[in-house]
Amino acid sequence: MALTRINIGPVHPSTHGVARLVVDLDGDTIVKVEPHVGYLHRGVEKLVETRMYMQNPPYMEKIDYVAPMSVDELYVATVEKAMGIEVSEKAAYARMILLELQRIASHLFWIGSVTNDLGQSFTGFMWGFRDRDVILRLLEEATGQRMFYVNMRLGGVTREFPEDFESNVLNAMKYMEKRIKSYENFIEKNPIFIQRMKGVGVLRIEDAINLGVTGHVLRASGVKYDVRKNNPYYQYETLNFHTKILSYGDNLSRYRVRIMEIEESIRIIRDSFFKLQSAQGSMVGMPVKLISPKPINKISIVNRELPRGEGLMYMVAEDQKPYRLSMRAPTFINLSALNHIARGHRLSDLFAIFATLDLVMADVDR
Amino acid sequence: MSIDSILKYFYSGLNSPDLLTNILFIIVYTIIISLLVSVFAYLFGWVERKLIAKSQYRHGPTYVGKYGIFQNLADLIKLITKQKVVPENADVLLLNIAPILLVGITILVILLIPFSSYLQATNFGLGLLTVFVLLGFTPLLLFVAGYASGGKFAQIGAQRSVLMLVSYEIPMIFVIATVGFAAGSYSLSGIVNMQSNLFYAFLMPLGLVIFFIAMLAELERSPFDLREADSELIAGWLTDISAPYYALALMLDYMRMFMGSLLIVILFFGGWSGPILPGIVWLILKAVIVSLFIILIRVSLVRMRIDKILKVGWMYLLPLALINLLITFIIVIR
Repeated sequence: MALTRINIGPVHPSTHGVARLVVDLDGDTIVKVEPHVGYLHRGVEKLVETRMYMQNPPYMEKIDYVAPMSVDELYVATVEKAMGIEVSEKAAYARMILLELQRIASHLFWIGSVTNDLGQSFTGFMWGFRDRDVILRLLEEATGQRMFYVNMRLGGVTREFPEDFESNVLNAMKYMEKRIKSYENFIEKNPIFIQRMKGVGVLRIEDAINLGVTGHVLRASGVKYDVRKNNPYYQYETLNFHTKILSYGDNLSRYRVRIMEIEESIRIIRDSFFKLQSAQGSMVGMPVKLISPKPINKISIVNRELPRGEGLMYMVAEDQKPYRLSMRAPTFINLSALNHIARGHRLSDLFAIFATLDLVMADVDR
Repeated sequence: MSIDSILKYFYSGLNSPDLLTNILFIIVYTIIISLLVSVFAYLFGWVERKLIAKSQYRHGPTYVGKYGIFQNLADLIKLITKQKVVPENADVLLLNIAPILLVGITILVILLIPFSSYLQATNFGLGLLTVFVLLGFTPLLLFVAGYASGGKFAQIGAQRSVLMLVSYEIPMIFVIATVGFAAGSYSLSGIVNMQSNLFYAFLMPLGLVIFFIAMLAELERSPFDLREADSELIAGWLTDISAPYYALALMLDYMRMFMGSLLIVILFFGGWSGPILPGIVWLILKAVIVSLFIILIRVSLVRMRIDKILKVGWMYLLPLALINLLITFIIVIR
């Protein structure tokens, strides 16, 4: 039978921005998926070469607009490494709290988009957004902005946490635990949801390693890899949390790993607040000045566990500007696994797989 | 003159031996029913938007009119005034005629449904079978509409509609046969009259479940909205249908929901029977409750996959429909 070639996107309800997939179909079975990227390319890596070090965080945040703070932190950490600036203990805990809050917000966004792509007429989507808004309000309290925070400074964050921030966050975490239970009842126990997710889009452990996927995709395939554990930064090694893995590698595993990650993040936030009380040093970093300290390292490489996988930034430092900056975007690598996973599945499954890979096209294209 | 006497006058007109009077009354009746259907479709479009919004922690339409009740009207006017775009390789005649035929068939089916013991166009013995012959046409018309538009997404939606037809139509026909058997007639008002003691929902709960699921598939409501799966096929067979026809198709969605709810009420919930209130009020009240239930299902379930629907249809619904037939046979015969 002749192959049908259909073009999905770049404007399509479930391509999350501007992904374009050229799909070859044999009847209803996928023979080949060819992702086309570049519709949201802004040349951020080149752009930062023309600006001073601390002028760049606003650009960095727009790389991943679902979890802006984590990319911001990755960049600032790279600059800190180049300049040899130490982050005080207190600032480290503060950053960890903010990053984990951002991770929860990003995961909630994702839960919503998965249910929407499976065709649930926006209910899960709105629920995810409502709970994400609780986190965004907390981040607004701490940073002054709702989505694009530009909160990281060299050696710390912009400002101290407000007085009642701790109690607000802990209350919100209690609420979040309750909500996760309700997601379980509403989404995970639904037989049709299980039918669409279980055993669909299996990525075996060896393929996952060979394709270089990271984050929840890798952990759902059974590899125990989390930068926070394997290459700890800040104070992550002092905290008691686990890298959750599942070994099936299908859509449902990817979903469950994410839910478990939210639970672990809640745990990290609670522990961090406990340790923050006895932490030394100042939370506030250096004020933003155009003339920054001279970098002492020519080349600096920093990797971080972003919400969507491992992000890695490579920077060649010059006197006042980065000479060259390159970023390993986790979703770009995860997108490259799409053809491998989706081959042999049905057209409806393509969207389920695409959703569970959690792609942000801004991050893919940069 | 009481409402009852008007209805009786109407009934005598509809069944008058004089052909001219008969045709005249049928035309008037059709216009009344079309208006009723349009009003229901319009109001239910609003109710659905509000209800879905409520369950999703949103407000829904609020700006146009009180509680946004004129929002759908504004949307319709906007769609009607827009430019009509026809794809290059579309079959224009088929593409234009299919939505209109669909509306025609839906109204014809509702015409055959008795609204009360007097308010009905005709009461002939094979009403139920006629209704389902007409319903069997709709997936084919959807296929024609999808195929004629020439787009690939529409074609995939069209193919899915035929595949779905294969999966749910047969269990549905078995349930209809069971109802006809239990009532001893295929006349719709006969079926309603037979339910004066016991609703068929209680006589054959299994049959109700099967019929409801099959009806969801027939009406392409969630979780069987595969033909116009919005996150997969953009809008399925509606992808290339533009402006006024799209408005028609949106209205059609609610008209068909009204039709489906009416059929469920007639076959399983005793039609217009009920105390105090007039029959037509009971009928519409019951239909509204069934429609609300359909909406709640839409809010909470994810979409099924086409091959799973085939499996559900043949592996579960068909055997269950046969069991239902057997149980009803034993109960009625004994």
